[in-house]
Amino acid sequence: MPIRNRISEFHDEIAGWRRDIHAHPEILYDTHRTSAFVADKLKEFGCDEVVTGIGRTGVVGVIKGRSSASGRAIGLRADMDALPMTEATGLPHASTIPGAMHACGHDGHTAMLLGAAKYLAETRNFDGDAVVIFQPAEEGGRGGQAMCEDGMMDRFGIDEVYAIHNDPSRPAGMLAIRPGPILASADTFRITLKGRGGHAAKPNETVDTTVMLSQMILALQSIVSRNVDPILQAVLSVTSVETSSKAFNVIPDGAELRGTVRTHSAAVREQIEQRLKEVVTGIAASFGGTAEIDYDHGVPVTVNAAEQTVFAEEAAIAVAGECSGIDLVMGGEDFSFMLEERPGAMIRLGNGPSASLHHPEYDFNDDIIPTGSSWFVEMVERRMPAA
Amino acid sequence: MPIKNRFAELLPEIAAWRQDIHAHPELGFELERTAALVAEKLKEFGCDEVVPGIGGTGVVGVIRGKTDSRGHVIGLRGDMDALPILEESGAAYTSENQGVMHACGHDGHTAMLLGAARYLAETRNFDGTVVLLFQPAEELGSGAKAMVDDGVMDRFGVKEVYGMHNMPGLPLGQFAIRPGPVMAATDEFFIVVTGHGGHAAHPEEAIDPTVIGSQIIQALQTIVSRNADPIAQGVVSVTSVDTSSHAYNVIPQQITLRGTVRTHSATMQDTIERRLGEIARGMAASFGAEAEVTYLRHVPITINADEPTAFAREIAESVSGGCAEAPLIMGGEDFSYMLQERPGAFIFVGNGDSAALHHPEYNFNDEAIPAGCSWFSDLVERRMPAA
Repeated sequence: MPIRNRISEFHDEIAGWRRDIHAHPEILYDTHRTSAFVADKLKEFGCDEVVTGIGRTGVVGVIKGRSSASGRAIGLRADMDALPMTEATGLPHASTIPGAMHACGHDGHTAMLLGAAKYLAETRNFDGDAVVIFQPAEEGGRGGQAMCEDGMMDRFGIDEVYAIHNDPSRPAGMLAIRPGPILASADTFRITLKGRGGHAAKPNETVDTTVMLSQMILALQSIVSRNVDPILQAVLSVTSVETSSKAFNVIPDGAELRGTVRTHSAAVREQIEQRLKEVVTGIAASFGGTAEIDYDHGVPVTVNAAEQTVFAEEAAIAVAGECSGIDLVMGGEDFSFMLEERPGAMIRLGNGPSASLHHPEYDFNDDIIPTGSSWFVEMVERRMPAA
Repeated sequence: MPIKNRFAELLPEIAAWRQDIHAHPELGFELERTAALVAEKLKEFGCDEVVPGIGGTGVVGVIRGKTDSRGHVIGLRGDMDALPILEESGAAYTSENQGVMHACGHDGHTAMLLGAARYLAETRNFDGTVVLLFQPAEELGSGAKAMVDDGVMDRFGVKEVYGMHNMPGLPLGQFAIRPGPVMAATDEFFIVVTGHGGHAAHPEEAIDPTVIGSQIIQALQTIVSRNADPIAQGVVSVTSVDTSSHAYNVIPQQITLRGTVRTHSATMQDTIERRLGEIARGMAASFGAEAEVTYLRHVPITINADEPTAFAREIAESVSGGCAEAPLIMGGEDFSYMLQERPGAFIFVGNGDSAALHHPEYNFNDEAIPAGCSWFSDLVERRMPAA
């Protein structure tokens, strides 16, 4: 079953919503206009339930199939938030909000899911519940986690979750997926070092923070090269270094290091966190200094469940005639929080030749809407076939 | 010849000048009140010439002896500037200029030299000329140089120069001196390492400046431990480290290291400057990055000439009954610029058991005044004895 004709019929309408959302980007949890827009549309389509305020500004719509003998519910997720950037596309539907821009295509994700919701509410050709999930704060705000913590999965009885992310590196409309880890866990850390400051001409009376911090940065490099299984992937980057004073003639009292840890496995993630703490604490102690470590768990590894990935691939082939594989990516995605709660999969959808994600000239390609909306519909109808 | 009785008589008056200067500290070259006070006193004492505005706000006073058969001219130097420190001494005459403080005893140095000037102008019991050099901006390391650059040595025919600094920890009113290098050259350096910034999840596409900066800091430690003559003294301190961005998820483009180098010999200074450049550039090159090294030589080594030092020691012994061997000090002193121009010596006078120099609780001890004034005036009377 290829792209749904019915969806093609209202392609222009969906593109209209997409451009309207694009022109009014909102950041993190401040998706007030977008959430209201989504909730209005869902009500207009005749969703059985439309619940706002989940995970602060998230919106959930429930569409009941003709029957519910299966007792199952499939979650379909889109993200609504934009980025704090200034748009440089020069398009007629460019952002009207200075310093905010849909540069990651969440406008497209939201519009495609609205399109699927409209179709599903119209046809209801499935046995169970389709739960459409619109989340805020995907870009570093843990909106997915906030919705899960609000009890969304249990409240709506969701069994599996699926999502789409557009991909500027693939031909327009091409779907691509792989099982297992696809995106990285992304943790951040802040290390507050304390030495003993003093006059730069009297190093013997101090515990020199700069010598300590440079040993630390170098020793941290050995975690990936010496501790992590060479078959697995991991990145540890110290991205910011700042001493507590900037004078030429004062040995600083302290320093702050910041950085990020990216992995594709929960075990490696745990191993790096533990080694980071050992290396930092040990080196500080060896110089007579101290280190306070603030290790912040960000998004977990995004893991596509094996079985659900197979279904997603089959649905993709049905819609687009083919489905390709993807490479592992070191970026993070907060749909991972939902995938930790329920099995499911995230698929990539080619955006055709375009500027890269997060680039000020990026724009979502409206031509790919029918493919995305059809894939969502296909997942629901295949996972919960009408009797 | 111990402490002159005349200074015991004058002590309350000199201490009052000192406390007045202490209560009205001024910074750098901005010595409007202090310089005016000094000039006014010198005129009141009957100096033969009083010239303000030398080297910015420096003041010069000339006192001619009873005779001038040999044309000898001795320069005596005092420094007038304070520090940007919030005073916590609890003195009754505590700073009225919030955040500015005489925490290095320049109030005492100025008062002692004024006391000597008063006595010398009163008695004129010497054969030659005394040139009193009241300098600004010692703490900036540029006041003495400004006076020298203004031609103060030639203009007033100065043949040799002497300076005095108080020393906490040395018994009150006792002296200490050493021939040869006494205080360090203080150089500054900046190392800007330019790598290649990028996403923290993709170190393979970046050239990470934090790793290179750390390698450089570590390798710089080997200059003192491996390249320098172990008998000589040197300090290389990296005192400030700052990446060009402070985000968690961005590998910065640059890292800037700043620091200071302290040495007591020209050879050592040359070696360190050369090795610092070689290490920074070589280490950066080994990672495919570039290091731009800026090395600034500030105050030179303070070197006491042998014969004037021996003479200064004899005077100190006669005033206080003894004279200690001063330790080598890794701090810098801008009287070094005057000692580069003319032979002379820099002597320390004990401030007794007080807080350290530059400490917010430091205060100059007025009981040291008679010894300091006696040393200045004895030096004049014995170096240029009246016929």
